[in-house]
Amino acid sequence: MSDVTQEATATQTTGRQGPVKARSGGRTWARTGLLVIVLFWCLFPFFWLIMTSLKLGDRALNSPDLFQGPFGLDNYASVFEQNFHLNLRNSLAIAGMTTIICIVIGSLAGYALARLPMKRKILLLSGVLAVSLFPPVALVPPLYEAWRTLGLLNTWEGLYLPYTAFTLPLTIFILTAFYASIPRELEEAARVDGATPFQAFYKVIFPLAAPGVFAAAIIIFVTAWNEFLLANTFAPRNPEIAQTVPVAIAAFTGQVEFQRPVGIITAACVVVVIPMIIVALLFQRRIVAGLTSGGLKG
Amino acid sequence: MADTPVAPARSVEPAGPDQSSVRAGGFSERTLARLFIAPSIILMALVALFPVVYAFILSLNEYTRRQHVGFAGLQNYADALTDGRFWESLRFTLVFTVTSVGAEFLIGLGFALIMNQAFRGRGITRAAILIPWVIPTVIAAQMWFFMFNVTPGFINNVFGLGNFNWLGQQGWATFAVIFADVWKTSPFVALLLLAGLQTIPGDLYESAMTDGANALQRLWYITLPLLRPAILVALLFRTVEALRVYDLPQVMTGGAFNTESLSILVQQYVVRTPNPGYGAALSTLSFVIILGVGLVFVSMLGRQLVIGRTTER
Amino acid sequence: MRIRSAWLSLTAVAVLVAVACTPGGDDGGDEGETRQLVWAIGGAEAQPGGVHEQVAELWNEQNPDTPIRIELLPEEADQQREQQALELQAQGSGFDVLGVDVIWTGEYAENEWLESLEDVRGEIEGATLPGPFESATWGDELWVAPYNSNAGFLYYRTDLVDEPPTTWDELCEEAISVAEDEGINGFIGQGARYEGFVVNWLEYYWSAGGELYNEDQTQVAFDTELGVQATEFMADAMADGCYAPGFNTAQEEEARNEFQQGNVVFMRNWPYVHSLLEEDEEAPEFDIAPLPTFTGDGTISALGGFNNGVSAFSDNIDAAKEFVVWAATNEEAQTMLATEGSVPPTMASVYDDLADDPVMALLGDVLGEAKPRPPAPEWNEISVEMQRALFPAVNGEADIQSSVEAVRSHLETTVEQ
Repeated sequence: MSDVTQEATATQTTGRQGPVKARSGGRTWARTGLLVIVLFWCLFPFFWLIMTSLKLGDRALNSPDLFQGPFGLDNYASVFEQNFHLNLRNSLAIAGMTTIICIVIGSLAGYALARLPMKRKILLLSGVLAVSLFPPVALVPPLYEAWRTLGLLNTWEGLYLPYTAFTLPLTIFILTAFYASIPRELEEAARVDGATPFQAFYKVIFPLAAPGVFAAAIIIFVTAWNEFLLANTFAPRNPEIAQTVPVAIAAFTGQVEFQRPVGIITAACVVVVIPMIIVALLFQRRIVAGLTSGGLKG
Repeated sequence: MADTPVAPARSVEPAGPDQSSVRAGGFSERTLARLFIAPSIILMALVALFPVVYAFILSLNEYTRRQHVGFAGLQNYADALTDGRFWESLRFTLVFTVTSVGAEFLIGLGFALIMNQAFRGRGITRAAILIPWVIPTVIAAQMWFFMFNVTPGFINNVFGLGNFNWLGQQGWATFAVIFADVWKTSPFVALLLLAGLQTIPGDLYESAMTDGANALQRLWYITLPLLRPAILVALLFRTVEALRVYDLPQVMTGGAFNTESLSILVQQYVVRTPNPGYGAALSTLSFVIILGVGLVFVSMLGRQLVIGRTTER
Repeated sequence: MRIRSAWLSLTAVAVLVAVACTPGGDDGGDEGETRQLVWAIGGAEAQPGGVHEQVAELWNEQNPDTPIRIELLPEEADQQREQQALELQAQGSGFDVLGVDVIWTGEYAENEWLESLEDVRGEIEGATLPGPFESATWGDELWVAPYNSNAGFLYYRTDLVDEPPTTWDELCEEAISVAEDEGINGFIGQGARYEGFVVNWLEYYWSAGGELYNEDQTQVAFDTELGVQATEFMADAMADGCYAPGFNTAQEEEARNEFQQGNVVFMRNWPYVHSLLEEDEEAPEFDIAPLPTFTGDGTISALGGFNNGVSAFSDNIDAAKEFVVWAATNEEAQTMLATEGSVPPTMASVYDDLADDPVMALLGDVLGEAKPRPPAPEWNEISVEMQRALFPAVNGEADIQSSVEAVRSHLETTVEQ
């Protein structure tokens, strides 16, 4: 499958000229060193997050020493006492719906923009982009009133509809770029074989654009999952109904006024990150494995 | 090769080369294009058009706090453009955008190249690279506040910097906010570029290597040009996001020490000291600025994505 | 193969979502329930088990016909206000009773979001401490019923300091010398650029004898000289190490942590810190005292806290009004705030009853001298302007004189209208 691509790219990044055989020990060291730096960069703050989430008591939580105990799982227990599993459910549903709708209708639009004849495409692209550029905080008051009238406050629809609308521009741009990068000959070959344009799209182009589609899907999912402003305005309370994960985390309070609930916030954050990583990895595997080198050479 | 998708040959109408007049399943390609794009346009228009128009109308009205005073024409815009705060926050926003997007691009490209390789421990590395990005921004902002701030002072503790006041002085406060953003969003760039790398045919590298091109040359002459659409899309969306940055400076510095972004300013006039007219005018101004930057990208991208290919037909 | 698995993954997500969807959905939210009052209030004490909920339960026991429930608002005051504002701006009847920060009174009144409480004024005024009562009025009219209050204390280390200082200069001298001997830092308060900075600055300014407005808030009574004195004091404290290094990024919790970890000698903070310090066995030995002044006479503090307002759009204004009056004047409910929670009550008699408790005793004294920030409609704008002008001056980045004058001229724009 795509081994060729990977091998080629691999060599190309690691730096030296010469045949593949000539990889030296020094190169392995350099590569390991680079990996260590990357891992430290990405994981050190996460390590802090995990250590803090395990700390118990005000004193340990506010100590700059990562290893000052006592440690325990109490913060995690408190997280789930607050119906956090319901928040996870809401976020999963809302981000999932956003992803599905975005991908389905965004794919169509992206294909049309990249492949089908249409007038004023640039203008259309600009218009699409413009949708996502207005400062969201200024959109909140009118949307709130509209949502109130329509009964969309405290509902899933009330969140995934605007998420879809505001994430579609990104989706359309990503997908247009990926459709455009697929050689036209493939599609034409399909046409010659008698496929309709629609068949050409979903049998040939859509699968070939899989890396782009899955990259878009992860990005949409994570964006919707992490959105705070609209979620906090349209569904600020009630995990049983539609309160999402970031809103719930931001709503945690300490035991007394002013006290900052560092322990429970970090614990919730760790709880959230783990399933997200799994989702992202599953999707990402599709990004990398999605393309057959054979297809492109066709 | 075996799994190259091949369309089933059950279509009734044979397709000809003259595409725009082809009737497929009863639709011409132009109609099909409209049908394909309609759902997106309708949904976006339904949700986004009304509040944007509403905000624009608000911006033409004068308010004292929430009380409507009368029609103001362009007075709110004039006020905004002559307010030093607007220009200060624009300056910070631009500095923030250029530096953070630049750094995110370089780091993201590096990540993408790493993620694209086959090596032992690749799974863990990929997961690690994605972690910063899946942490909700509001939480990440708080986390970096804790890390940088003198109290409790994790970064100072780890690196033995004593009581270095990252967030409490000019320059370093900006640095800290940018740093946090780069940490948080480089993976976004990495993912898009990783996907883009998959569309580059492997045989290009093979022939380049036979021609004796070194790694840098291959990166420069093959990878980057072919990655151009993905890079432009990534930069476009990072740029417009960065131009609207709110959570990080708000949580980490509250906008002190010249870290007030345009969005913080907008937020102040919409939420904190509400003045719907002025707030809407500031929003519209920042919208115009961001759109202007966006259109530069679109013109670079567009030719590549749509015009070049359609006009040649 | 590849295509199929691509679609498969998407389908898998779809199924997941569908499964996730089944138990939930929207049940329309709050409409249609029985005539239960809704009390929109936020913060730790409004959480399940918090003292606001206990107060609500007490009311429900005594008034089973008009029960009340809490609609929990976010932790942060700005967000609480925004969520109330969105509902009230839409003239929504979703909230009957509003938890109103002491600085929002005038703004809410101006927006006509509140039902006037003038008809129950006598009842409330008689029972309430004067400072908190003042914070509940605007334009000589009572708009909200006092509920809980707050005032700043000076916390000091009894292992390092014998007697608490009574003047600011004394405090800084001692802070610097003790900190040097002990290898720690001096004094910390709320010095980050936010509302707390204004509170801290006002405490210096007021304790120098300054005022913002005259009695009925029709004229600016700002004294530039005293403003300069207060600002100069802070700037010097920043520069000469009286303030701990993290002062200009510290909010309540940062200050508490520095003190609790034993890193500072003095701290300005709210009473909530007291119980947290007592719970922590490793915390330094400490005591509380009134905040110093510049002259050494008396004390002054900025008032905090939340009052209860009746929403003008409530469907049940009478019951809501009964509740807010009850919450302001019922001895049992008000006592609960002190004994079960961390929010100081506003009812005068509670302080006499609980005078044995050291925190309550000091609070009783301090609250008598405490001043509310002017609950004017434009307070938020004033506060932002003060932060923008004074914060750089305190940090040595702007000229003190002209910054203080900027505050004065902004105050003047507020009365001209």
